[in-house]
Amino acid sequence: MATTAEHFQGHAEEHHHEHKPAFFARWFMSTNHKDIGTMYLIFAIIAGIIGGAFSGMMRIELAQPGIQYLDIFAKWFGAVNPDFNSTLHVWNVLITAHGLIMVFFMVMPAIIGGFGNWFVPIMIGAPDMAFPRMNNISFWLTVAGFCSLMISAFVPGGTGLGAGTGWTVYAPLSTTGSPGPAVDFGIFALHLAGAGSIMGAINFITTIFNMRAPGMTMHKMPLFVWSVLVTAFLLLLSLPVLAAAITMLLTDRNFGTTFFDPSGGGDPVLYQHLFWFFGHPEVYIMILPGFGIISQIISTFSKKPVFGYLGMAYAMVAIGVVGFIVWAHHMYATGLSVNTKMYFTAATMVIAVPTGIKIFSWIATMWGGSLEFKSPMVWAIGFIFLFTVGGVTGVVLANGGVDDVLHDTYYVVAHFHYVLSLGAVTALFAGFYYWFPKMSGKMHSEFLAHLHFWVFFVGVNMIFFPMHFLGLQGMPRRYPDYAEAYAYWNHFATVGYMIMAASLGIWFVNIIYAFAAGRKAEDNYWGEGATTLEWTLTSPPPYHQFETLPVIGETAHH
Amino acid sequence: MKFGKNASAVSQSVKAAGLSLASVLAVAAMPAIAQDAAASAVETAAAGSYTPMKPTEGVGMPVPEGLGLQTQYSKLGEYGAWIHNDVLLPIITVITLLVLVLLIVVMVRYNRRANPVPSKTSHNTLIEVIWTLVPVLILIGIAVPSIDLIAKQYKPAPKGSLTIKVTGNQWFWTYGYPDNGDFEVVSNMLNVPGQPTINNGVREVGSEPWDGPSHLEVDNRMVVPVGEPIRLQITASDVIHSFAVPSLWFKLDAVPGRINEKVMMIDKPGVYYGQCSELCGAKHGYMPIAIEALPRDKYDAWVLTHAGGTIDNPKASGTETDYLPGEEPAGAAPAADASAAPAAAAAE
Amino acid sequence: MAEAINPVDRARQSNRKVAMVALSMALGMLGLGYASVPLYRIFCQVTGYGGTTKRVDAAQAAGIVDSGRTISVRFDANVARDMPWDFKPLQRTDTVSIGARDMALFWARNESDQTVTGTASFNVEPEQAAKYFNKIQCFCFTEQTLKPGEAVRMPVLYYIDPAILDDPDNKDVEEITLSYTFHVTSVGDAKALDQSKTGG
Repeated sequence: MATTAEHFQGHAEEHHHEHKPAFFARWFMSTNHKDIGTMYLIFAIIAGIIGGAFSGMMRIELAQPGIQYLDIFAKWFGAVNPDFNSTLHVWNVLITAHGLIMVFFMVMPAIIGGFGNWFVPIMIGAPDMAFPRMNNISFWLTVAGFCSLMISAFVPGGTGLGAGTGWTVYAPLSTTGSPGPAVDFGIFALHLAGAGSIMGAINFITTIFNMRAPGMTMHKMPLFVWSVLVTAFLLLLSLPVLAAAITMLLTDRNFGTTFFDPSGGGDPVLYQHLFWFFGHPEVYIMILPGFGIISQIISTFSKKPVFGYLGMAYAMVAIGVVGFIVWAHHMYATGLSVNTKMYFTAATMVIAVPTGIKIFSWIATMWGGSLEFKSPMVWAIGFIFLFTVGGVTGVVLANGGVDDVLHDTYYVVAHFHYVLSLGAVTALFAGFYYWFPKMSGKMHSEFLAHLHFWVFFVGVNMIFFPMHFLGLQGMPRRYPDYAEAYAYWNHFATVGYMIMAASLGIWFVNIIYAFAAGRKAEDNYWGEGATTLEWTLTSPPPYHQFETLPVIGETAHH
Repeated sequence: MKFGKNASAVSQSVKAAGLSLASVLAVAAMPAIAQDAAASAVETAAAGSYTPMKPTEGVGMPVPEGLGLQTQYSKLGEYGAWIHNDVLLPIITVITLLVLVLLIVVMVRYNRRANPVPSKTSHNTLIEVIWTLVPVLILIGIAVPSIDLIAKQYKPAPKGSLTIKVTGNQWFWTYGYPDNGDFEVVSNMLNVPGQPTINNGVREVGSEPWDGPSHLEVDNRMVVPVGEPIRLQITASDVIHSFAVPSLWFKLDAVPGRINEKVMMIDKPGVYYGQCSELCGAKHGYMPIAIEALPRDKYDAWVLTHAGGTIDNPKASGTETDYLPGEEPAGAAPAADASAAPAAAAAE
Repeated sequence: MAEAINPVDRARQSNRKVAMVALSMALGMLGLGYASVPLYRIFCQVTGYGGTTKRVDAAQAAGIVDSGRTISVRFDANVARDMPWDFKPLQRTDTVSIGARDMALFWARNESDQTVTGTASFNVEPEQAAKYFNKIQCFCFTEQTLKPGEAVRMPVLYYIDPAILDDPDNKDVEEITLSYTFHVTSVGDAKALDQSKTGG
């Protein structure tokens, strides 16, 4: 309580000492939104390295037909003399862990926990989040969840060590099909991360509704804040449904209930309905803050206000709302009735409309602008193109009749990696280069940032574009081994992975360079186009910002 | 326990059908099996003979370095492929190129050097209405054939269609033929030379002249008649699997505790490969599907190679077919039966 | 510190109010998540969604008039992997008069050396026909117990609602399949004794 009160009283007193606590108290008991944001970003980078390493292990195994490396990986996870089943089980553990880590412990912590925590309070002129101590609990719950997930990889999970259910944890594979504690640890990881995210969502909603500076009306908020607000509502309404579903899985597994077990009158398909009622909003949870970041960057480097601000804000609201009524397009193959399938086909295609509005509004923002191709802008333009590619394949997949041949093939893998790995992650890198000097006070190397972009761009397209071909040819996803006909494009994708991995090396070098030799960042290092409140503060901002609340005038634009 | 014992004895004699009528026919079919096992060149279809068909390279299977959909061998598949190749693919390509071109134009025309003073335009109602309405119209254009395709896919099988039962198991498929004497075919993936044994007791791929690609070929294919609608009823015995054949535009989940039904109709004789398409555990990648479509007479001959296999011309069947003739109560059930407890009909 | 007008207190109070509203939304969704299980079951029973048949009592069935039109009904039987029963329909297909009561028989035998109690799950395909498929009496309404080696014939008394003839979604349906899958409920249950008594 004292912390909140102090922030509010602080501005009356106008003294400028920083009040930074000692190391342990600052980083482990932190209630400062910027420190927590930094911790989220560091955590996301660590989780991303692990999740990325898992995808590297998958790509090296897929470089050629046959099983070459899985038995070695099995030994890394602690298996002694693994038989063929437990060797293959490692594959399922890798795909499961890769998915869960990237979704719950990389993209979400980075984009909401990291950038959201850092910049939402600043952009609305608030001294901190509404509930700083709950913010701290959110972060450590996420870390605890990650630890639980890591533990699950080393304990028995059925045919081998670890949870091999896929990130969707479908029953009955996840119940009767996977004895052993691994899946329980995995479910517990989701509980912890989910609880942390729900608390974070409540915190963001309260902060954005209640703590805006005088004059900062809802319709003046920067689009990044809008995006986090919509995301927070999606989290608030979808995560509890996941929590309920996986709790029922847990009791089905351990306490003899039959929520999803036909032997007691349950229906495994109901689990899929519940999972995707969460799962579909979840993909917007991952991408909407990215939309917000891209809007800020495009506006800054075009030196123009965002085109169609209200349309942009309400397009996100529309995407969020429609996102709740399209879930069964993930379940076209489960034997849906004809009317259900037609409805979900039509509803899903509707999402293309607000998404199209966003794409065209970004281009219109640039139209007539005075574009400066600084690194965040290059990443943002890359985002628009890659997200378009991922978006249009989504329109293909929306068709229930066409999905009969594409469902659960590499076409789907290509689609969601184009919108997430190339969409959300590209937005993350754009945001990183946009705000890194603001957060650290040190300028990165623009040359390395551009180089990072081009190598990454080539690499990820080499990985994921051929997956469209593989999917159209019928290669199913979640396969460690494949027919000879699929060898060429799989090998190609593995080469792409190496290039993508090299680009991450450039990124790390850039970070090291910035801290070691980067020049000091000015308050507003991007110049006249950067108009949101974070650019009125020093780089890095003071430990407690806005001790006098800023007043937003009529002319301020987004 | 008289009935129980009786049934027990019968069912042991013929596992698949377990019932008297079927067992009579099974005896008749026995010599055929022996002939087939000896790989003799008996061509008399009626007696029941079968040599697996050699698949055609590139038909019903993926092709190396392939870029697009597999060639389709069903009417619905051709329609679906048309929607994808001639409707969706051009539209999404044009949209993507439009965005790319716009981005390039913007970067060339409005970079800092070309346009030092930015405009302050941030609204244009007309263009906003246009880029909302045009996508709506495009989507409606897509929805028309797309919804039509779904409607066609759900058209139930016509009267007298052959029914085949597909069951997904960890990690193999079983195919039941209830209209042909209720025998069952167990289908395992063939082992791959140089790789760990996937299925014990199953031969390696390439050891027979008719073997198709590795990872796709099985020991016992699902044989079906060509050119007629087949009612596939799909279920699973353990976890969820998915029965998928890309070249027939077919994918339907096998969910334990219930059946899913869909019509499959293959235009041309041939071998069509597919793979399990729902994560089902360790050997998810090693339970392929191989469908061999044969003309009716060859299909019938294949049926007769199985113990209990009977020819059942579905076109002619309008009558009731019982496993136990005479056992079923005639007409509407009497009231006494209706009120009886479920277990009341148990052994006397 | 002033009393009620302290802006810090007011801000905190307001924050708490927003947070409480948000929290109750989250808890409401959590509740809906659990409620979805019974709601889904009711939804399926009412609409026939997922191929769920209707259960009616004899009184309701008495009012149905035989339409004179016939349809083919197919019977399908499965067992879960761990279920040691041999389970099959005693008639593969049956041509029934729409609106008339009919009976189908299934047969099961316990192949194991333990008493096994099982429950049957069921569904109807094509799905759109399910809501017209009415069961008056079915072995799937209760658990069934079989002693080692015991065999049993199990009746299903049903009729197809003539309203199916007026449903455009069902105009192409030529054959309705009723499918059952037996699952193990318990092994070695003492209840077996009671069951065999009623069975005579």
